[in-house]
Amino acid sequence: MTDQTPVLELRAITKRFGPVVANDRVDFDLQAGEVHALLGENGAGKSTLMSVLYGLYSPTSGEILVDGEPVRIGSPGDAIAHGIGMVHQHFMFIPVMTVTENIVLGSEPVKRGSGAALGVLDRRASRRRVQELSDRYGLAVDPDARIEDVSVGMQQRVEILRALYRNARILVLDEPTAVLTAQEITELMAVLERLKADGTAIVFISHKLGEVLEIADRITVLRRGRSMGTVPRAGATEQSLARMVVGRDVIFRVHKDAAQPGRTILSVEDLHVRDDRDLEAVRGASLTVRAGEIVALAGVDGNGQSELVQAITGIREPTAGRIAVDGTEIAGRGVRAATAAGIAHIAEDRHRVGLVLPFTLAENLALRRYRQPPLSRHGWLNLKAIRELAVRLVEAFDVRGGGPDSPASALSGGNQQKLCVAREIDSDPKLLVAHQPTRGLDVGAIEFVHSSLIEQRDAGKAVLLVSLESEEVSALADRVLVIYGGRIVAEFPPDVSDEELGIAMTGGAAAAA
Amino acid sequence: MSIAAPLTPKQGESERLSTVLTTKRVGLGGAALGLIAWILPLPPVLARSPWPSIALGLLAALAGAFVVLDPKHRRLGGVTIFFGLVAIPLALAMTNQSAANVSQVFTWSAVIASGLTFTTPLLFGALGGVISERSGVVNVGIDGMMLMGCYFSVWGAYATGSWVLGMLIGMLSGGLLALVHAYFSIHLRSNQVVSGMAINFLAYGITGYLLVAQFGNNGTPGTVPTVPNLVLPVIKNTAFFGVAFGRTNVLTWAALLLVPVIWWFLFRTRAGLRLRAVGEHPMAASTVGLRVLATRYAAVTVSGVLAALGGVYLADGFDGSFNFQMTDGRGFIALAAVIFGKWNPVGALGATILFGFSSALAYRMETFSATLGTLFQALPYVLTLIAVAGLIGRSRPPAADGVPYVKE
Repeated sequence: MTDQTPVLELRAITKRFGPVVANDRVDFDLQAGEVHALLGENGAGKSTLMSVLYGLYSPTSGEILVDGEPVRIGSPGDAIAHGIGMVHQHFMFIPVMTVTENIVLGSEPVKRGSGAALGVLDRRASRRRVQELSDRYGLAVDPDARIEDVSVGMQQRVEILRALYRNARILVLDEPTAVLTAQEITELMAVLERLKADGTAIVFISHKLGEVLEIADRITVLRRGRSMGTVPRAGATEQSLARMVVGRDVIFRVHKDAAQPGRTILSVEDLHVRDDRDLEAVRGASLTVRAGEIVALAGVDGNGQSELVQAITGIREPTAGRIAVDGTEIAGRGVRAATAAGIAHIAEDRHRVGLVLPFTLAENLALRRYRQPPLSRHGWLNLKAIRELAVRLVEAFDVRGGGPDSPASALSGGNQQKLCVAREIDSDPKLLVAHQPTRGLDVGAIEFVHSSLIEQRDAGKAVLLVSLESEEVSALADRVLVIYGGRIVAEFPPDVSDEELGIAMTGGAAAAA
Repeated sequence: MSIAAPLTPKQGESERLSTVLTTKRVGLGGAALGLIAWILPLPPVLARSPWPSIALGLLAALAGAFVVLDPKHRRLGGVTIFFGLVAIPLALAMTNQSAANVSQVFTWSAVIASGLTFTTPLLFGALGGVISERSGVVNVGIDGMMLMGCYFSVWGAYATGSWVLGMLIGMLSGGLLALVHAYFSIHLRSNQVVSGMAINFLAYGITGYLLVAQFGNNGTPGTVPTVPNLVLPVIKNTAFFGVAFGRTNVLTWAALLLVPVIWWFLFRTRAGLRLRAVGEHPMAASTVGLRVLATRYAAVTVSGVLAALGGVYLADGFDGSFNFQMTDGRGFIALAAVIFGKWNPVGALGATILFGFSSALAYRMETFSATLGTLFQALPYVLTLIAVAGLIGRSRPPAADGVPYVKE
């Protein structure tokens, strides 16, 4: 890169939370018009570093320089004043307010004259400026829609617009692609190119190697709070980066033998399910999963996957259709019936559905089987048995960051997911439903989850995998089903090309068929 | 739907307008029939037979039952059924009384004057509650802050000889008590309901003690300068409006005026937008540079001042005397009005008018039927329960209402 003064420089930033060192003397610099990626596993300290930069945390030691001048950033207000904008991983919006209100909040245009003293909002000017920015950068948003009513992709565009509205010269994007569809990711990359050409300096936080190699000019890798060095994109490969990220070689594709499918375990016939808004989300889906095979359900988010999974696992009552597990009819009979019939469920959202975060690891691990001996007898919990179970599973599934008595909330995302996987697999199911089981996980944890699923398959279980990531689908599936508009529209062998799959997922195959 | 919703309606509703209208019309028509059923036995019609009302009430309920089957109009249907069914016992009770009794109670001009009297303290309290809860702090201490306003306005007017200074001292006392609540619930992050209740008992104690310590066993002298009524020059001599509005207290007009002012503040000014942002999602507000804690302190303090104004009216708006625990739980009814009014000042006005007028009617009815009076007295609570259960429009509180904010 050039020798000019970096717009932003972090020098030897250290951040401690009690005894935990989240950042250990991290150096980072950023030039105008470049994308500098910050790569690392979950818990490597990427978000902490950026929270220090944005004034959400104050650093234990270290220095921040903007345009070569040391600055003190004690609050997000200071960061904004220095031209730093943040696109948070978990969007920071007021859901009931409009897109425009969310963008202008904190530096709202007010009417002139007597209105200025009273601080009367100039709503027309707000709307106009949002529209102008939206047109200029090609970030399509609906200025009058409420945030809670717009898609995740649009919410992210609103976050970017909010930073631009505040004249951000430094834009930090924290895991921006984690929530986006493939199409939206392509659009985001185009927007970033445009911003870059405009001279905006961009920090791109990610744990996905592919997209980092696609967009970044330079890449800094963090591991356990320390910088492992900065490399230019030229010459970097997925393997070289992965080695820096985890400190060892990672197998990208889990080894897997040919499937030995047995009898049909799950059979779903002409299933209809309504969503929370009372609209029909699943419209006559039929599928089967046999013992000893992994069936992947691929599709763009919001095509009825969630409702289908909820119906199969007993969480949601279908309006019509049949669901049978190994011959037992379970449609509309609830979660207990589904569990009794042999279904285990790695939930899409481990925070809201998969775990009870304030409960201990032991309590969480007991949730699926607490009603049966030895975990309980005559309505009394056997705490000793529950603890023994926890000790065994924590050990077997290598859950790190806490013991049986720590709360689940204390674990990192990857370890929380291991906890879910451990509980579900240990219930010895006939059918394992894994809904986006690697969402938000780092490379090491993904590898673990993938090999667990294959182990289950080889042990003769039926596995239904719901995934939004085509890489995951092609790595694990023995058969690929495509869901679109609430129906199963296509079936492919595992070696289907991304292109063919993409067409089917966007409704192309349905039109052709 | 909420009155004066600040946000633009969702698009796409106009498309279905033609189909919507029919069901909606039946519902609205039914509700109108129900209202007519209510009015028939009252002056000026004063029907002496319950049957027309019963017929209309049943018709309204029937229309409501039809509407309620349509999931899109469940609310309207529910309201219509409620209107129709309540009309029947009402008509039976009214026609059972002598016409003279009924017209004595329902002298509308006097009902309005009395209703406004009952509404005023509730409205101040509810407006205070709206401000505080919109910023994310539940204020169960409204009743205590109101009571502070009661005592200190009387004491202030007594000590200074001026009702204006008495009022200011009353407002100050409510604001100070609110600061205590703010410190506990914002800084110490204690449970806001518990803190609010403690505030109430603190106020009962402080005012009860000071009353005896300052004025002895005979109570306040009853000779202190009071907040005057606004005598409207021409209107005071007209038959109907003269009785209803001719001699209304300055504070009543102030409370009514505060409704649009606070609405406008909340939904049209920068400070109002920020206050609501802090109450919905303090973390998000903080990341765009807003000062969450300071905003909440300000809101809670203002809420205490407003509640105290309700107390000023209760004590120094009448004969200028203070009695032990004289708010009589009005602060809690004000809180119910906050919920019933969907955390909106205009909604709070509607709710407090409903509550205030049912209290006025209950009070007037007691002269000839204690049971009917009690029935009306219970109306606010029944309505609030119905509102909380989501039968008349869903009540959605600010998302962070009652949740302390932790920065790091």
